[in-house]
Amino acid sequence: MSAIKSEPFVINIGPQHPSTHGVFRIKATVDGERVIDAEMVMGYLHRSMEKLAEERTYTQNIPFTDRTDYLSSMSNNLGYCLAVEQLAGIETPSRGDAIRVIMAELQRLASHCMAVGAFTNDTGAWQTPVMWTFREREKILDLFEMTSGARLTCNYMRIGGVAFDLPKEFEPACRKLLAQLNPFIDEMEGLLSGNEIFLARTRGVGVLTPEMATNASLVGPMLRGSGIAWDIRKAEPYCGYEQYDFAIPIGYQGDSFDRFIVRLEEMRQSVHIVEQALDGLPGGPHSTQVPLALRPPKGEAYARVEGPRGELGYYLVSDEGPTPYRFHIRPPSFINLSALKQMTVGGTVADAIVVLGSIDIVVGEVDR
Amino acid sequence: MALTVLATNNWYDLRDLSNLSRVILEGVDRFAPHGIVYVLAPLIGFAASFLIFVLPSQLFVGVYGERKLIGRIQSRYGPNRVGPFGLLQPIADAIKLMQKEALTPWAADVAVMWIAPIVFVAPCVLLFAVIPFGPRMVFADIPTALLYFLAVSSLPVLAAFMAGWSANNKYSLFGAMRVVSMAVSYEVPLVLGLLGVVLFTGTLGLQDLIFWQKDNHIWLIAVQPVAFVLYFIGVSAELNRTPTDIAEAESEIVAGYLTEYSGMKWGLFYGMDIGYALAAAAFGSTVFLGGWSMFGLDRWVPPWMIIVGKTHLFYFTFLWTRATLPRLRIDQLMTFAWKFMLPVALANLFIVATERIIWTENGLSDNIVYLYAVVNIVLAVALLVGWSRFLGYRPERTPSKARLVYEVGGYVPVPVAPAKGEGRP
Amino acid sequence: MNGVGPTLAFYALAGVTLIAGGGVMASRNLLHAVLFLILSFVGIAGFFALLSAEFIAMAQVIIYVGAISVLVLFAVLLTPRAGRNNGETKMLAPAVLLAISLAAVFIFVITDTDWPTVATSPSLTASDLGEALLTTWVLPFELASVLLTAALVGAIMLVRTVEEEAEDALA
Repeated sequence: MSAIKSEPFVINIGPQHPSTHGVFRIKATVDGERVIDAEMVMGYLHRSMEKLAEERTYTQNIPFTDRTDYLSSMSNNLGYCLAVEQLAGIETPSRGDAIRVIMAELQRLASHCMAVGAFTNDTGAWQTPVMWTFREREKILDLFEMTSGARLTCNYMRIGGVAFDLPKEFEPACRKLLAQLNPFIDEMEGLLSGNEIFLARTRGVGVLTPEMATNASLVGPMLRGSGIAWDIRKAEPYCGYEQYDFAIPIGYQGDSFDRFIVRLEEMRQSVHIVEQALDGLPGGPHSTQVPLALRPPKGEAYARVEGPRGELGYYLVSDEGPTPYRFHIRPPSFINLSALKQMTVGGTVADAIVVLGSIDIVVGEVDR
Repeated sequence: MALTVLATNNWYDLRDLSNLSRVILEGVDRFAPHGIVYVLAPLIGFAASFLIFVLPSQLFVGVYGERKLIGRIQSRYGPNRVGPFGLLQPIADAIKLMQKEALTPWAADVAVMWIAPIVFVAPCVLLFAVIPFGPRMVFADIPTALLYFLAVSSLPVLAAFMAGWSANNKYSLFGAMRVVSMAVSYEVPLVLGLLGVVLFTGTLGLQDLIFWQKDNHIWLIAVQPVAFVLYFIGVSAELNRTPTDIAEAESEIVAGYLTEYSGMKWGLFYGMDIGYALAAAAFGSTVFLGGWSMFGLDRWVPPWMIIVGKTHLFYFTFLWTRATLPRLRIDQLMTFAWKFMLPVALANLFIVATERIIWTENGLSDNIVYLYAVVNIVLAVALLVGWSRFLGYRPERTPSKARLVYEVGGYVPVPVAPAKGEGRP
Repeated sequence: MNGVGPTLAFYALAGVTLIAGGGVMASRNLLHAVLFLILSFVGIAGFFALLSAEFIAMAQVIIYVGAISVLVLFAVLLTPRAGRNNGETKMLAPAVLLAISLAAVFIFVITDTDWPTVATSPSLTASDLGEALLTTWVLPFELASVLLTAALVGAIMLVRTVEEEAEDALA
């Protein structure tokens, strides 16, 4: 008896597709509903940032970092500023550090809101979870607006500290928000973690074994979802993260659902960190004075932070000029995306979308 | 069957609109030549059931209500710009759709692509012919109305397939394949579930079913809970409503078989999707929720208002699932239909047949229906839970919270391997 | 069938069914042929309805239009190059011969049979039909279901892959 012959079929998921989260394309070869080959096509959003940055001064480059991962501009600012500070040997005041921690964790909350919502949308929940998470994200963005004047591209961190001190009304507003966030996270968890359809769609889909995750040098929730306890905030603390008490959430078997629950738990931990930072907010200046035309000594520096999507690194080389000689970003989404093919091949088209959603890419960061 | 309605035969008695149409027809017959009334009667029936009930329901419950309610569920406002409370939004949408260009791709099968919306719309209009709106308000009271409904509701699948195939688009073809395979799979448990109802009541007529429920003072949802569950799930799948909307799965295959449609051609599909959902809701409330009868309330409240209210409530459950549930994957849906729904439907059929034999062979009184209702509800819960556990559904074994560690390091092995959740899909 | 209405309906249905049947033969596109076939099924259901056999009409629509045509569509989907022009075939001459002989047999049977005519159409309800099927005609009825089961098993055997058979042999 012979099997029915079927022809493979190439289907483009993207660059214009409702769930590619930007201009990203998967060229999937499918056999019926099953994906037998997947090719990632990226570069539609390439803006040549790393080259352009070589023509601008160190301070002028901060707004660029806003626009790489446009969903977590604070973390990007922070990583870049840390790299410059390391290069030039600048100390930051403790109040500046605390404000940086508050902002970075709020940014993580905002970004994870987006990630969780968009991921749930990819599993087919028609807009409701994404609307709910956006509602909470808006409140966080309101806080950003209050402090930095901008909601999306904040441009708030400066070399040596932050641009402005926190306004008077920030602390009560932030505490009010934190009080609302924990019940919200519980609500999302109650709605989705126990939802049988959601479980069926995500459990066992896009499984990454710990070996696969480390071999692909994945970072952030992707790595932790596979059960590996790794967090830059603990491994190589910056901005005084060593004084805060928080846990690293890890998953069980590295499937899409584990990445989802890891993100939800990280949001809880972030709320906890912001609470501690607000409680122990030191006085003093929020920034050190740094010459506008900064000329760091000859050398190189690599600073990394734990962004919402994982390890975000900035590599800078200085030739004592006013502009960096070399500017390189290690974007977490780009590295995480490298595991997509392994996770999608063998699954169905619907699984591929779920896996892509669980990676939580930002194409601005992938293509830079 | 005695007509236990209070309605008089006066044309102004709103409790029975059939009087009005009778008066009109008699009046016309007096002046017009013989035979005109035969043409006029269907037109009145069409106008009454479709133009007065279906179209406004589609526009104001389907389009406006759906958008407004889902908007509220999603913590946003929904339409509120056009007209008071945004009530004129559906009309504005329709005008917009008519203005839009209905594109036809160059490589499309043009004839099939243009016929598909027509094939999609026509059965929807036909479906409402057998829905009883009152004791005497049914357009075509045929004895096999239930079968008629099933037959006509199997037609739109063809239209969806035609739409998907003719557009010559890969996403459309995916959608078409999914529609066809879903229809084949879900038709079987749906029909088997309804067979339980037919076997229990011994009739295929919708009006007879209502009178059965009215005479026994019980709704069939209580007597046949499994059939109701099967009907709801099956009809959701046939109608492509979430969580089974894989044929139009927006996040996967853009819009499925509708990807290449635009303008009013798309509008017809969209509008009639709501029309089919309303028809399914009307049918479901007729078969399972007592139709126009309401435990004696139909003597005072116009029966057609009761059925319209029930239909809209039933439709609300479709909205509710749409706004809250994620979508299943196609293989999970197929598995669910064949491994879960089909055995449950067969078991239900077996139970019903046994009960019916006991009832008729021993000549028991009709009051045994209440006993059967209790027995069947217990059996239904046992059947659904038992079968899902038999298939390996173990919700308590799946962890739903992340583990917490406080030190960085390498891989932290999972203490107890979690059960590989095959489970109910 | 008396009156203008049924007569008109009969001719309309006959026209639709015949045109659809012709379309099945004439259309070069496989999918168009299937769609014409479905239209002819609908026309035949209309004939049943016209003969007051509404149960059979409904069954015709459910089974032929709802189920069998869908299966045919599946077959079309699984056919390689289904959209090709099916004009050329070597089987043209045998097909014409077969069609003519079949038509001859039918014409002979139709003209030769002494058709009984009844004044009023017999009322055939669903329960009458069910009773007849499960009493008088129970053997053919059950035989048909056995046949269908056999076909089902055969279809499963046909589509099994070699690997699946090897797995079953091991199990």
